[in-house]
Order: sequence, then structure tokens, then C-alpha cells
Amino acid sequence: MTSIQDRNNVVTATLPRPNVEPLPIDLPDSAAQIWLYSGIFWMSITMLIGVVEAIKLFYPEFLQGVPALAYGRLRPVHINIGLFGFMSMGYLGATFYMVPRLTQTPLFSERLGSLTAWFWNFNLLGGCMGIMMGFSKGKEYTEIPFPFDMTIGLLVIAIAGNLFSTITLRQERRVYVSLWYILLAIIPFPIYYTLGNASKFSGIEDAIINWFYSHNLFGIWLTTLGLATLYYMVPKQVNKPLYSHIVSFVGFWTLAAFYPWNGGHHVIWGPVPMWVMTASVTASIAMFIPTCATMINFGGTAWGTWEIMKRDIGYRFSLLAYVCYVGASLWGTVLAVMSLNAMLHFTNMTIAHVHLGFLGFGVPGLIAFTYFYLERSLKLKYSQNLAEWHFWLTMLGIIGYVVSMGISGWMEGTAWEAGGSPQSTMLDRYPYHVARAVSGLIVMAGQFLFVWNVYKTVNYPINLPATSPDALEQSSVTS
Amino acid sequence: MRYISVFPIVVILSILFGSAFTGLVIAPGVASDVVRSPSVGLVAYSPTEAKGRKIYAREGCVYCHSQQVRNVKADENLVAAFGVSKAGDYFYDLPHFLGTSRQGPDLSNEGRVWRRDIGQPARDYLIGHFINPRQYNPNSIMPAFDYLSTQELSDLTDYIQSLGAWKDNVKEPLKVATAGL
Repeated sequence: MTSIQDRNNVVTATLPRPNVEPLPIDLPDSAAQIWLYSGIFWMSITMLIGVVEAIKLFYPEFLQGVPALAYGRLRPVHINIGLFGFMSMGYLGATFYMVPRLTQTPLFSERLGSLTAWFWNFNLLGGCMGIMMGFSKGKEYTEIPFPFDMTIGLLVIAIAGNLFSTITLRQERRVYVSLWYILLAIIPFPIYYTLGNASKFSGIEDAIINWFYSHNLFGIWLTTLGLATLYYMVPKQVNKPLYSHIVSFVGFWTLAAFYPWNGGHHVIWGPVPMWVMTASVTASIAMFIPTCATMINFGGTAWGTWEIMKRDIGYRFSLLAYVCYVGASLWGTVLAVMSLNAMLHFTNMTIAHVHLGFLGFGVPGLIAFTYFYLERSLKLKYSQNLAEWHFWLTMLGIIGYVVSMGISGWMEGTAWEAGGSPQSTMLDRYPYHVARAVSGLIVMAGQFLFVWNVYKTVNYPINLPATSPDALEQSSVTS
Repeated sequence: MRYISVFPIVVILSILFGSAFTGLVIAPGVASDVVRSPSVGLVAYSPTEAKGRKIYAREGCVYCHSQQVRNVKADENLVAAFGVSKAGDYFYDLPHFLGTSRQGPDLSNEGRVWRRDIGQPARDYLIGHFINPRQYNPNSIMPAFDYLSTQELSDLTDYIQSLGAWKDNVKEPLKVATAGL
């Protein structure tokens, strides 16, 4: 019996009027392509902005005097492009690729998928211009001004409808774990997104709702889409079935139960009701269970695949994403421990943790999917040399970033507990801020090689020989 | 496990999400009155302070400056000088500026450092510091807000001077208020 995740054949859409020449946006996988390439585009932009900000944090005169490029305006742009441009678009690309294959059904509407992608791009551009022109709403993760913020909510409803209809009309009755994660991502999003962006609450209530919204954005929108992609991709890359479906079941349901409760851990020790703190700290520590489940499942699947790791750079990126996901999640659990939070909250430790998640899990996961897509679906050969450079630059940059910010955060925490203040640690932080900017620059250089590589591969195609890993995969895999 | 169909998944997910929604969004608002009532003596923002607050939001000050003092060791000096922040202190804040990072100092009691009763010297310092922070502290990494208009700088200064200023007018000594926490 072949397991569902092993089937990789492209399902051709039956067009409603076959005698009419199909538009480019109606072709199978066109939506997936637009989402994916847009995600890669925004990834480069958000990294560029990130590097500019990192330089401003040790050399504040850099690009000084242009209001739109002031640190306080670029930072929300960096975050919003990271969330809604790079992560959302890139992983929706992966989702639009996975859903038709896992359901063995053509996408409900390829045209709707493509149009929502283009609309999303222009809408995000408008939102970011709005922030730079000074129309920010002023609350973290909800900065995109009206009407662009509400448009994102409406677009997600159209996207979720498209994906959900495909899942409902599916030919393959079994529902693979990736689809569970996709369902968790698309169903509650419109609720907490609207709540977070349209809320007119004030004071502490506003803060609690703000964190409820934003942690759900990381936890049950980006993480779930990322994990869905890894669950789909890794068994195919290593050419064997998933280690355990029981463990992925446990991992999924504990994640769905605990992650939505995590929001309050942004205000531990803050002026919020005790209940919010207690519930969120408990849930954050309970996140240990789904993290361990993921660790066991992917660890088991990846065990003994060193040969594939040497050969397949895309798979190496999957493993990097997996290691960083586990690391960032366990780190998050540790940071929610009340005594450690008292010391390390407000320091650069938070920045290090967030970047291990986005830079360590988000970026390599999307890269792994892109290489996977080029090789397995388009059957194109990308430059192995460029990809090798890309991998090592990315890896070096991530380590440099996380280590420099981690040390800086620890140092700040201990200094504050010894009676210091943010001003008194200013000079001590300087070398770490420089190291962070250099690491960011290294990661960015790696991604520019990657973008060049993808561009060359797609526009000057070299087809893979018949003995491609895909042929291997389709012949031999059972579950 | 792979044969579970979509409908039960959707139902269970809705229950799980709904319980978190109830616990973190509805319960704090309904169940605790501290969230919905202002602290004793809290003063609403004047029109210029409210304008200054909008500039604070627009320029993204919140990304580097928190506005909360926690009852922890790292905030010892702040607690000793100003007391711990309480939920009711933020009653008029829309949006909230609690913050998540301290690249710079906490500002929740800045109006008690650069008090209004100091008069012009305090205003001159704050406005001069907005325009060129490194004139006062060569190591500062704060951006220079030299592009703000005179009116905007004045409004922003009004807002900064309002932060925590009301606490000095509250009759009961701060020690009593913080002892319970």
C-alpha cells in the first residue's frame, strides 16, 4: 500500500471550457508559483531592511534625515513584510502546491489563487508605504493601516475558501498530517486577525488582545504552514515514510490545544491579571510536548540519511529548519519560565529567539521547499555550487546572529539584575550589534545567491536526467 | 490515524481555539474589574498630549522603549523610584504602549523625571534630545528626530511629560500601593 504523502504526480486541472485557450493564471500550479516567488522576493526585501536597521543600531547616523527610513518606521515594515510578505506568501505557495497533491484533486480555482496572490502583493506594498509615510496604527504586528489591514483579512477568507473547497472536494479520502496543519492555519485566522486589527479596546485589555492575536499569527498561522511543508517534504526527500503517524497525531493535537494560549507570555510580570500570566506560562511550558513530538518524528525520519544529506542541499535546508524549529520552540518554553523571564524579558534575548524562529526555521524551510520544487516538480537542475555557498552562508549567518544577540541578551539581563540600565550597557552592547549586522549581511548575501540561482534555473532551464530522485521515489516507496 | 476525516478535525479545532479565545480574550475583560477601571488619580490625556501620543506611535518609539515597571529584580531601581505599574494606569491608552524591548530606558515615569514644574529647562532638554540625542549622550543609539516640526516636538514633549506625572498628585504614599503586590 502506498502512503499518500508519497504520490507526487501533478494533477491537471479540468478547465470549465476546454475549447478556450487557458490564461496563464489558470494553468496548474500557477497560483503556487506566484505565491512562492513573491515570498522569495519579499524575503530578500525584509532582509535588506533588517540589515539597514541593524546598522542603524550601532551607527544611528546611517541614512539619517529621511523620515520614511527612520528606525522606528523601518522596523514595523521589516516585521510586516517578514510576516505577511515572506512567511505568509512563501508558505502559502507551498500550501497551494501541497493541497492539490495531497487531495489528488485540482485546486478549486487556480485563477482565484493567482489573483489573490497578486492582490496580496500590491496590498502589502500599499500597507508598507502607509507605515513609512507615518500612518502606522502603532501596535506591534497590527501596524498596517486601514484599509490595507482589512484587505488582508478578506484575502485570507478567499484563500481559505479556495483551499478548504479543494479539501472538501478531495479524491483522496485519507487526510495526511500536512492537511491537518493547513486546516488549523486557515480556519481561525480571520477571527483573530480581525479581532487584533479592528479592536477598539484600550489599556491592558488592548495589550492582552494584541498578544493573543500576534502569538496566534506565529503559532497557528506561520508555524503550522511551515510544519505542514516539512511534513510533506521530508519523507519525499529521504525517500521513506514518516517515522510515526501516532507521534504526529500527538504533536498536532497538543500544538492545537496549547499554542493559542501562549499569547500572554509576552506580558509575564506585566500589569495584567494573574490568570493571563498563569494560563500562558502553563501553555508555553506545555509546548514542550508538541516540540518533542516533532523532534522525535523528524529525527526518526531523518535517522541514517547522511548520504542524502551530503548530496541533496534542499534536504540539508529541511534539516536546518527542523533543528532550528526545535531549538526556537524549546528556547521559547525556557524563556516563559517566570524567573528567567524576569531577567531576560526586554533584552536582546527575545530578538535572538525570534530570529532563530524566522531566520532559522522560516528561511531554510522555504528554501528547502523551493529547491524541492525546482528539482522534483519542474525537474530542473539548479547550480550545485551556488547552492553549496548559499547553504554555508545561511548557516554561518544564522549562528552569528543568534549567538551574538543571545550573548548580548544574557549580558543585559545580568547587568540589569545587578542594578544596571539600558543606558549603562550601551557600550557593552556595541560589539554584539556590529556582529549582528555582519551576520545579517552574510545571510543576505547567501539569499541573493539563492535568488540568482532560482532565476537562472527557471529562465535558462537544464532538465534533469531520467534518473532523477523523483523516479526513484515513485518506484520504491511504501508505508 | 490517517483515516480521520475533515469534519471532526474542524469541530475539535474550533473547540480548542474557542477555549483559548474564551480564556485569554473574554475572561480577562469580563472577570477582572482591574482591567476595566482607571487607577485612582489617573488623568486623561489633554489634546496636545494626545497629539504627541500619535507622534510617539507614528515614529515607532514603542519598539525600543517599554512603558511598564515590573515587580522583578531587573527593575529594582525603577520600583524603588516609581513603584510597580498597575493595570488601571493604562486605562486611557489606545493603542497600548507596553512594549517588548528595551533598547532604551523605560519611559512609564518619564514625566516624573522631566517634571512640568521644572519649566523651560526640562522642555529644552527633551526637545534638544529629540533633535540630537548624541549631543547629550555620545553613546546613544536613538534616532535623531530632526525632521519633526516645532509643533510636533512640542506635542511630543507634552506627552512625554505626562507619563506617570499624575502619580505625584495621588495623596496616598506609593509604598502602600505597592506593598500589596
